[in-house]
Amino acid sequence: MSNAAVFTSEFSRVFRFFLQELKPRGKWLTPFNVISIPIIIVGLVILYFRFVYGLGSVTNLNQEFPWGLWIGFDVVTGVAFAGGSYVVTFVVYVMRNDKYHSIVRVTVLNGLMAYVFYAGALVLDLGRPWHIVNPIIGNSFGYNSVLFLVSWHFLLYMIAMFVEFSPVIAEWAKLEKVRKFLSALTLGAVIFGITLSILHQSGLGALFLMAKPKIHPLWYSEFIPILFFVSSIYAGLAMIIFEGTISHKVFKDLIGDGNHKRNEEIVLGLAKGAAITMFVYYFFQALLFVHEQRWNLIHDFWGYWYLVEIIGFVLIPCCMFAYAVRNRNLGLIKVASVMALLGIILNRLNVSVIAFRWYAADHYYPSWQEIVVTLMVISVEIWVLRWIITRMPVLSKH
Amino acid sequence: MEFYTYVNIFETKGLEYLLLLSFLVLFILLVRYLSGYGKKGPDAGDKTSKTGH
Amino acid sequence: MDRRQFFRTSATVGAAIGAAVLPIKKAKAEATKENKEFIGVLVDTTRCIGCRSCEVACSVTHDNYVPDVKNDNALEKIHDTSDKQWTIVNRFKTEKGDVFVKRQCMHCWQPACGAACLVNAMYKTKEGPVTWDGDKCMGCRFCMISCPFDIPKAEYHSWNPRIMKCNMCYERLKEGKKPACVEACPTDALMFGPKRELMEVARHRVYSHPDKYVRHIYGEHEVGGTGWLYLSAVPFNQIGFRTDLGTTPYPEYTKQFLVSVPLILFGVPALLLGLNELTDRKNKLSESSEWTKPGEEHE
Repeated sequence: MSNAAVFTSEFSRVFRFFLQELKPRGKWLTPFNVISIPIIIVGLVILYFRFVYGLGSVTNLNQEFPWGLWIGFDVVTGVAFAGGSYVVTFVVYVMRNDKYHSIVRVTVLNGLMAYVFYAGALVLDLGRPWHIVNPIIGNSFGYNSVLFLVSWHFLLYMIAMFVEFSPVIAEWAKLEKVRKFLSALTLGAVIFGITLSILHQSGLGALFLMAKPKIHPLWYSEFIPILFFVSSIYAGLAMIIFEGTISHKVFKDLIGDGNHKRNEEIVLGLAKGAAITMFVYYFFQALLFVHEQRWNLIHDFWGYWYLVEIIGFVLIPCCMFAYAVRNRNLGLIKVASVMALLGIILNRLNVSVIAFRWYAADHYYPSWQEIVVTLMVISVEIWVLRWIITRMPVLSKH
Repeated sequence: MEFYTYVNIFETKGLEYLLLLSFLVLFILLVRYLSGYGKKGPDAGDKTSKTGH
Repeated sequence: MDRRQFFRTSATVGAAIGAAVLPIKKAKAEATKENKEFIGVLVDTTRCIGCRSCEVACSVTHDNYVPDVKNDNALEKIHDTSDKQWTIVNRFKTEKGDVFVKRQCMHCWQPACGAACLVNAMYKTKEGPVTWDGDKCMGCRFCMISCPFDIPKAEYHSWNPRIMKCNMCYERLKEGKKPACVEACPTDALMFGPKRELMEVARHRVYSHPDKYVRHIYGEHEVGGTGWLYLSAVPFNQIGFRTDLGTTPYPEYTKQFLVSVPLILFGVPALLLGLNELTDRKNKLSESSEWTKPGEEHE
């Protein structure tokens, strides 16, 4: 009886605490708010049209191009960017390297938000989204489908990341017993999460295996899954560096300006990891180039475009990372990580949209509405992220 | 379907192994470069002091 | 309950659950018992006169847009099936004069769309037609990405879009009738039957008129074999067919990946746990150690 009473009083405390925390803090008229609020409003109007009059009313999708920006960028690229979460949890919890422990919470949070919003953007693109539960419950298990696997893994990985992040929420709500219980689950969730990540990062590539006759041979190979997996490692690392740079500016007062040296070591370590993975990825591409005798294909526009991606946005940022690490040049590391991220965008869009049906007379390009909705998804994600970071103990002050 | 010619799908294997060897050599060089071997300056000194302790 | 009895009971229960949940054994037995042949249609393009009766019959049967065959000049340019029409006829100008080619779903032996579908909305029936079930489909359009013939079409201008494609008149087949287009064809350009018989007819025609046909039956081996077969007087790449699709069934392209999934799912966690055991056990990291001050450690 008294147990129940304690439980209810605790529950109502947490609930009141939550309501109080929901209130906005700080200034309203920040540049980000001024830009993002109109985008979100316009995006919602566009989504109204999309759900009432169909995808065709706001997108440039057609029978030849069933997947456009919302899949190619939001889902396929967004998930690659969220790869940092499994890389860092691997290093910290599996390899027990505490050097990166101070960034683990913010990275997991970033990953979780990226999955909720970018993989969640899939719902916008589904023709019949109310059937989204079909592959998970009911008698409609399409075991034979790569997408079946990817959707299950998205779901399970989101749960795993939520478990990894949940001690922070419990700490914020001052639920000490719950926090203790949840942090005991961390290693299990991490190991499960890494496995799922390996599978769905490569699974996103495997989606395109059956589109063999439609993807330009320079981008199609039976090894797309491996390429997607390896590149997601450095995409994640570059994203951590990029996000870290921004959050150090935006959340200056939360981080405090002590211990620059340690932060510098973390960035250098991440950049080192990125340089090595990019080097490996570059050689994977080179090996495929030789194996599939691609030299016959590089003398036209698509060949040059391929070289821009592989040399301009893989090899060059790789060398920049290496040079910057050796000379401890943090500015150059930031430039290199932006270039690496652009390279990932380029690669994912090439496979899913740009070099997809490269022979088409009328090639797909995104409509302004598709771009606005994409920006809306990003804006909402940043809003939620900001809310969590300013309230929960995510950034380490140490 | 009217005639058959012999196609060797492993034609480029030799080149691939050469590539592999060059990768291994370059990879060792990269890792050495990244860890600051052969570099004169404060970092190199830092390195030795770290290993010393 | 003694131990032996316990084991026996649990083994029986386990086997019962296994038999109920896993349809594998049952499916295998069925396949050998029923011995049903996939049906298909043989299209002889040399017989087609481009009257487009098949288009009309198809649309009438399935409540789709019925084209105005006399006046719409649809043959003037090469076009494709759409979300409104499941089959269309194209005219190709070749060295042997005008050739009319009907286009619709090829009803592959191992359909890529079916392998792509994560809810089994697109599936191959026992009889051979590849059909679509709107109660399951979630509209991801992965079938459209995967189909080597670009047959599935989505209704982009509907709040509740369907995937539109030929179903070989599956509802008519169940009543014992032929597909509507086959029945409507006035020149016997379409022939309906089990593929084995169709192949015999097709080979017979090619061998007895070597000057009239090219020695290639499209659909015999393409993408692992299709239900619809085509005969032609000119090479198939001149009449709108892709001849670079290969003979591998498309689901095979994802086989390697799908086979490796369970391997990774049980291999990697074990590996990771092993790695974790190998690391320094004294270095006991707690989830919150970076966020609490040294004296007030939670654990």
